[in-house]
Amino acid sequence: MERNAQKNGSVNLVAAIVSFIAAFGVTIFVNSQAGQAASVFLGLAVLVAFTGWFQMRLEENERLEKLEMDELARNQGESALFAAKDSEVFPARRAREQFEKYFVPGFCILLLLLEAGGAWMLWRWIGKPNPGLNSVRAMPALSLYAIISLLLFLLGRFSVTISRLQDHRLLRPSSSFLLAGAFVCTFTALGIAGVEGKFLQADVWVARGLCVLLGLMAAEMLLTLLLEIYRPHLKGKISRPLYDSRVVGLLAQPESLFTTAAQALDYQFGFKVSETWFFQMLQTNLPVLLLAQLAVLILSTCVVFVDAGEQAVLEHFGKPVATLTAGAHLKLPWPVDQIYRYRTEQIQSLYVGYTPDTNDTGTVLWTVAHNQEQNFLVGSSEPSTLKSSNASDDGTSDSLRAPPVSLISVSIPIQFQITNIIDWVYQNSDSSNLLSELATRAVVHYLAGADMNTLLSSGRLVAASTLKDDIQTAANAKRLGAKIVFVGLQDIHPPTAGKVAENYEKVVGALQTHIASNLLAQADAIMTNAIADAVAFTTNSAAEALRVQLDTSAFANAALFTNQLPAFETAPLIYKQRAYFQAFPAATANARKYVMLVTNTQNVLIYELEDKIRDDLINLGVPNNSSP
Amino acid sequence: MKRNLLTVIIGALLILIFVLLLFVFQVRQSEVAVVTTFGKPVQNINQPGAYFKWPWPIQKVYKFDQRVQNFEDKFSQNYTRDNNNLIVTVYTGWKISDASAFYPKFLGSVPAAQSALENMLRNAKNAVIGHHDLSDFVNTDPKQLKFDEIEAEIQQAVQADLSTNNYGISLEFLGLKKIELPESVTQSVFVRMNADRQRLIDKEQYDGAKEATIIRADADRQAAETIANAQAAAIRIRGEAEAAAAPTLRVFEKNPDLYIFLLRIEAMKESMNQKTTLIFDDRTPPFDLFQHLPTNTVSQ
Repeated sequence: MERNAQKNGSVNLVAAIVSFIAAFGVTIFVNSQAGQAASVFLGLAVLVAFTGWFQMRLEENERLEKLEMDELARNQGESALFAAKDSEVFPARRAREQFEKYFVPGFCILLLLLEAGGAWMLWRWIGKPNPGLNSVRAMPALSLYAIISLLLFLLGRFSVTISRLQDHRLLRPSSSFLLAGAFVCTFTALGIAGVEGKFLQADVWVARGLCVLLGLMAAEMLLTLLLEIYRPHLKGKISRPLYDSRVVGLLAQPESLFTTAAQALDYQFGFKVSETWFFQMLQTNLPVLLLAQLAVLILSTCVVFVDAGEQAVLEHFGKPVATLTAGAHLKLPWPVDQIYRYRTEQIQSLYVGYTPDTNDTGTVLWTVAHNQEQNFLVGSSEPSTLKSSNASDDGTSDSLRAPPVSLISVSIPIQFQITNIIDWVYQNSDSSNLLSELATRAVVHYLAGADMNTLLSSGRLVAASTLKDDIQTAANAKRLGAKIVFVGLQDIHPPTAGKVAENYEKVVGALQTHIASNLLAQADAIMTNAIADAVAFTTNSAAEALRVQLDTSAFANAALFTNQLPAFETAPLIYKQRAYFQAFPAATANARKYVMLVTNTQNVLIYELEDKIRDDLINLGVPNNSSP
Repeated sequence: MKRNLLTVIIGALLILIFVLLLFVFQVRQSEVAVVTTFGKPVQNINQPGAYFKWPWPIQKVYKFDQRVQNFEDKFSQNYTRDNNNLIVTVYTGWKISDASAFYPKFLGSVPAAQSALENMLRNAKNAVIGHHDLSDFVNTDPKQLKFDEIEAEIQQAVQADLSTNNYGISLEFLGLKKIELPESVTQSVFVRMNADRQRLIDKEQYDGAKEATIIRADADRQAAETIANAQAAAIRIRGEAEAAAAPTLRVFEKNPDLYIFLLRIEAMKESMNQKTTLIFDDRTPPFDLFQHLPTNTVSQ
């Protein structure tokens, strides 16, 4: 029987090595992340199986040595030879004790480091960008994992049963690892199957789960090593191998969970909970319950709920057989019938010429770069086409023409709805991207034939309408199954780069300056004409006044003179003198008068009669207006 | 015994699932599949459904997307017939028309097929663009714009290459997605556009100055005309008044000396004001009264 244990250990070791190599090879073959984690687990199984096998060999040597020594003792009786120290007499036992004392803890520390390091490195590796599962090789890989799993399951199950026998305890760690390895390979295969079933993250989820398992094993190993320090070591008491993981054992033999749980519940409640009918039923019918749950899971795939605004395509063995609208629907279970949902009523948007900047809430100006706009070539009706002096019209390389093009920035949001889900799904691999390509092409085509100035001013509405029709026509021609709901030229302007937009604004400024100078000149003209009218009126009025004056005063003066004449003729001298002396005081009343009595004729008198003239009067400007 | 039966059932179910996965495969409406037996293509499946196959490694199934796949080539610089540089990118829609021909040529790799297609596209694009002027791409005259013709020519060239070598793929459509100018030319276009704007700016500024000058000059002319007309009218009125007053002059002819004397007196009145300074000696009446007053006259 003991020989069989060592033989089983050898078989476990070989099985672990073969399964590790096979699993690692399949992992590389299919590029599965879960497979990487499974390979690490099976690698640890190899180490555990080897250690267990080696320890079994040491115990076997010890047992043979003991038998041999007992035989000698019976034949020769007591002698000085056997009075020597045990270490000298039982080298195999000493080797086994040394192995358990030094190698096993050291191996457990190594195992701890490998488990913890493996879990940490795998977790980081899974988070990095990865090309993903090779779908072409998925099916063979899945089959291989299934075969490895089946072999490990059969061998592990047998080995676990054997390990329950007396003196086969060292077989248990490798058996548990093999059986757990079978489940790990099954999970890996399910992950690959999930990816094939369009659950693209299934492989990653399984890989993460296995990382957690490795982490738990590391934590358990650390706890075991700490407890080992304080555990009383009684000579002759057979203890559980340090590297025999309870976590792995639980994974390999989940039914042992019931034993552990029952013990905990019994202790907690103070009576034999494990003997109640419910616990017994649960323990007995667990596989049935699991199968029932699996059946419910499969049956749940027979009911489909399509949300409002959605449509779903129902495929029967890959062939579309119906379009499901909002509501509940029945179908055959996966993988016979499968559905694919699409939000058909939702208004979807795509953008041509710009990438929306959701963080930019400021004012949109031509002169400030916004929304990562692109420039498009646009036609120009400006007379900018030139020919060099030696240019020819034959289109050869001698001709040189300036490109009659301009550049323009446009931001065109396009909104659409899916109207025919079958066309949308089955005609093109990426219908949304194709619609974006068609819209961009329509915009480029339209702008290439449009005049920039027209586009900036009166042509906007026409452009939006034409573009909508063009894009819809292109989408219909490609059988996209989409309806263009809205095309807007929300932002169209000269390029911000090169200060082109700024110069467009300056033209508007120059136009305003033009108008302003025109208005100022008109104001000056109004003033000039008004003054001229006033002057003309004044002149006219003065002339009219003079006319009246001449008319009236001439006759009055004549009448006066007629009356003065007799008086003069009566006393000519007196009349003249009287008139003179009457007029002189009145005439000279306001004048300064100096009277020189020139009796002192030998003296020269100098009078400074000049007035002091003020400076401001000297600097006074001469008015331009000529007086009439 | 019961537990063993359940274990057997679970095991049988697992095996059944694995067997189904090994022997049956599905082809979707959107897919086309090639089945190989020991590496040799033996079946080309274009219709959706569930199909039987022998397990790996006897038979393998390669599935491909048979829908139209979009592909956009890189921006590349091209030279037009009239010596202009253009940077053009095109988009295409292609699909796998013959999976059994497609699989061995590209080992089922769509990126490899697109890479080969891109080479053909670039070759055809360069050739076709070199036969056209820039005005065929950008023109405000719709009759001279040859967008559709250029696209058709590129598509025909690529399709010819594909058909000749039987790549197992067909080009469904092709379009010019973007046309741009090289950066240096773009800057030159900016300079030209700015110069055009500057022309308009100057036009507005100097047109404004010109119009203002015209308006002011016209106003000055109108003002001068108005005033001149007024002055002429005033002169005429004055003349008419003089003519009307002329008969009264005969009255003054009766004694011209007296009338002139009276006019001199009136003129003296009118010409005197506060600023007038008069210097008289003692012979001027009435200051001649001072001649008979005692003075400090020293006898000669």
